[in-house]
Amino acid sequence: MTGTPILRLVDLSKKFDDLRAVDGIDLEIYDGEFFTVVGPSGSGKTTLLRMLGGMDQPSQGDILLRGERINDIPANRRPTCMVFQSLALFPHRSVGQNIEFSMKMKGIPTADRRARAEQLMAQLHLPLDYYDKNVAQCSGGERQRIALARALAFDPEILFFDEPLSAIDYRLRKTLEKELKDIHRETAKTFVYITHSLEEAMVMSDRIGIMREGKLVQVGTPDEIYNKPRNKFVSEFMGEVNIIEVQKATEDKLECPSLQTQVVGPSQPTGFNSGHLVIRPESVRFLNNSGSAENSVEGTLYNIYSLGSRMQYQVRVGTHVFLVEKLREQGYEGELDDVVKIGWDARDSILVSD
Amino acid sequence: MNRSSSKLTRNLIALWAACILVFMYLPLACVALASFSKNRYFRFPIPKYDTVWYSKAFDSLTVQGLFETSLSIALLVTAISVVLAFFGSLAFARFDWRGRKVFQKIILLPIFFPQAVLGLALLLWLSSIGIIPDWRTAVFAHLIWIVPIATLVMSIQAYSFDPALEEAAFDLGATRWQTFREVTIPILWPGIFSGALFSFLLSWGNFPLSLFTTGADQTIPEWLYAKMVSGYTPLVPTLGALTTLGAALVLLGGYAIIVFSRGKGAK
Amino acid sequence: MASPAAELESRAVESSSRWAEFRAWITQPGVLCSTPVLLLLLIGFLAPLLVVVGYSLMPPRTFDFGHVPTLENFISIVNESYYRSFLWAFGLACITVVLLLIICYPLAYGMAKLFGHWAHLLTLLLVIPLFVSENIRLFGWVLFLIKRGVLLGALESWFGIGADSMLYSVPAIVLGLVYVYLPFTLFPVMLGISMVPRDVTEAARDLGASRWQVFREIELPLAMPGILIGAMLTFVLSLGSLAESKILGGQAVIMIADDIETAFTFGQNWPLGSALSVLLILLVGSLVLYVLRRLDLDEILGRR
Repeated sequence: MTGTPILRLVDLSKKFDDLRAVDGIDLEIYDGEFFTVVGPSGSGKTTLLRMLGGMDQPSQGDILLRGERINDIPANRRPTCMVFQSLALFPHRSVGQNIEFSMKMKGIPTADRRARAEQLMAQLHLPLDYYDKNVAQCSGGERQRIALARALAFDPEILFFDEPLSAIDYRLRKTLEKELKDIHRETAKTFVYITHSLEEAMVMSDRIGIMREGKLVQVGTPDEIYNKPRNKFVSEFMGEVNIIEVQKATEDKLECPSLQTQVVGPSQPTGFNSGHLVIRPESVRFLNNSGSAENSVEGTLYNIYSLGSRMQYQVRVGTHVFLVEKLREQGYEGELDDVVKIGWDARDSILVSD
Repeated sequence: MNRSSSKLTRNLIALWAACILVFMYLPLACVALASFSKNRYFRFPIPKYDTVWYSKAFDSLTVQGLFETSLSIALLVTAISVVLAFFGSLAFARFDWRGRKVFQKIILLPIFFPQAVLGLALLLWLSSIGIIPDWRTAVFAHLIWIVPIATLVMSIQAYSFDPALEEAAFDLGATRWQTFREVTIPILWPGIFSGALFSFLLSWGNFPLSLFTTGADQTIPEWLYAKMVSGYTPLVPTLGALTTLGAALVLLGGYAIIVFSRGKGAK
Repeated sequence: MASPAAELESRAVESSSRWAEFRAWITQPGVLCSTPVLLLLLIGFLAPLLVVVGYSLMPPRTFDFGHVPTLENFISIVNESYYRSFLWAFGLACITVVLLLIICYPLAYGMAKLFGHWAHLLTLLLVIPLFVSENIRLFGWVLFLIKRGVLLGALESWFGIGADSMLYSVPAIVLGLVYVYLPFTLFPVMLGISMVPRDVTEAARDLGASRWQVFREIELPLAMPGILIGAMLTFVLSLGSLAESKILGGQAVIMIADDIETAFTFGQNWPLGSALSVLLILLVGSLVLYVLRRLDLDEILGRR
């Protein structure tokens, strides 16, 4: 994605006593993009977001908004707005009053406020008769929409999201993810979202940053992250994949101690010595009856799981347990403890560092 | 929020807290100071320090009698109020039952009630049913005010009690009594202990209720008041300092026990 | 028309089902657990109050119930200007509440939001004086304020400044009330402020509210239950206070509890004392009930 950076972080750090929660982050976020920071809990992503929103002060480094340093500008005077993990709806105010809060603070006349609130409620599929409803009586999904409407009513240049969907059940979350992406398109504002779920990030984002122990490990489009994970941490983050420890054997062969064999891998970077081979479960094929692959190994079928439209198989090879996934209708037909032959092509495997 | 300004706010409030602490302890310090004065009448700066009034206090039979009365009342009040307030707090916070909200408000009424008037009302009530007040009626009077407070204190613990724990014990084959003894009591123990501490100390220091309900018997606060109003003796600050010290020791000891047992429980 | 027998039968069924309903209610654990406390309050709180009401209707200076009820005591309260002590108590209680809210709010805010684990120590230190009999603590103020006491003695001997003692005046009573009831305002207000989620104030600030707007729109309304309880507790206790005006006020003003006590003791006029008590109880009771009706205790004390 190209464009002008709306937000630039320069060596941004935050220390709590001895802990470097955020450790020297350099990043540019472009005007109008949907940027998601993904990381496990404790990776510092919430602290990062709170510094951007002005709730926490950086210990070091700068935050530049359109080139202006905003480190010392308090949250209420930043043109940014946060949707909190807890949503932080005002429990003593109605739905309408929550949405209108920022406009009331600015002293906008009541009638204008109401008009804008109703417009936002319509945009976010909130029934208009909810205007006077107590926020405590609204459902989880409705509360999400109220929180988003309240943030949009502030008319910020950038919206921050602190895992707002984490407490929502799976199906509703999927719906809200798509709605959020639609809202992003309609409003053309910059969204900065944090989550611990790469899957969630993939659905919505233009670009994704993977964070670990206060540092950004990899920044890229969902395609880049998916196809070229930089290291083992990023690959593990993508969910269930086969990760096999490998060492250099020859220029095009890799030694796999856990499989007790050598395999053909993708081209090795210069100076490569050891690392991990990542193979997606859906890239692995059963080769018992027919077919061939560049690499093949033999093992026993240990367990079979039904994943709905797909089937997942665990195959023990040496000390490694391979995951294989097939569409249900193309599944392997056999018994547990069968001796099976599985294989994959070198172009379906990715070589990553530790 | 600007960093330096929020730090300034914090420091200002900390300074304010220090002022309030000084304010709270200033009179107690004055009492302690006066207790070491040799003179019969207090004046400042104190011309001559001495502990003569302490040794007199320890030797005095009057003081011994006062101490015994106060202690008997406080211990009896503690014992009874712990039991009543324990069940009260379960009704207050643990169980859902029709009438709970009303019960919660009834419990608060005696706390919000002027104690002097309550003491007088009890005096009238006792005399109209023909009971002559002595230290035992004072126990009863203290209970009216202290049981509700102990109930509130214990309720705070009872609120955080997860009923699933009792259900789990029951499910694992414990009888109701075993569940109560093995699960309910140990978990609510810190609350029970705090309630006991509050009961003892509030009874120990109570004056307005004792004033009207002890009859011929006298507690330490009553005696101090009588001597302050008429017939001042230097034993007043001495005894005042001693009871304050006693209360503080009980409180700190109790606090240490809570902290210690919490630490042990965590291991 | 139903036959008498059938009617009788249906009545019996109705009463037995009502009886079963009552039995189901009474055997609930909550009802059983609340019974001992309620019994205590019935014989130790409600009964004495009824006796007081009864005495207030007896002719002046009688000591039993064997008389024709009369409103004489209430009439004499109005005629003999006892209402003055009511007004004093009311006024002083109001001043105390206002002063204490101003004094306590910043400290309560600090303890609830800023001091972290130091707040526990501070709480302990502020609770300790509560357990010292209030007349000892007030006596400490006497020692501090009295002529040749700690304050004036130090001023005179160290700085050569002579001043009059403020003891035995209205400000001294207010000082005593503020001092004694400070924890009663502080802790409920602290509880109230700690009920305001940090996220919510941050969200308000993020939405462009100034510090003052956050206070007025968010903190104050959300902390209101605690503030109300603190204010009410302080008001009610100050209204019925006795020791402050006696020990620090000398005879500067007479507050209502003074009058009540005098009527019972020196005055030997139980019915008059009872009538004064009834008025005080009505005043206090209606206020307490009004405030309590608006509060949900489960929410304040943290039921999950």
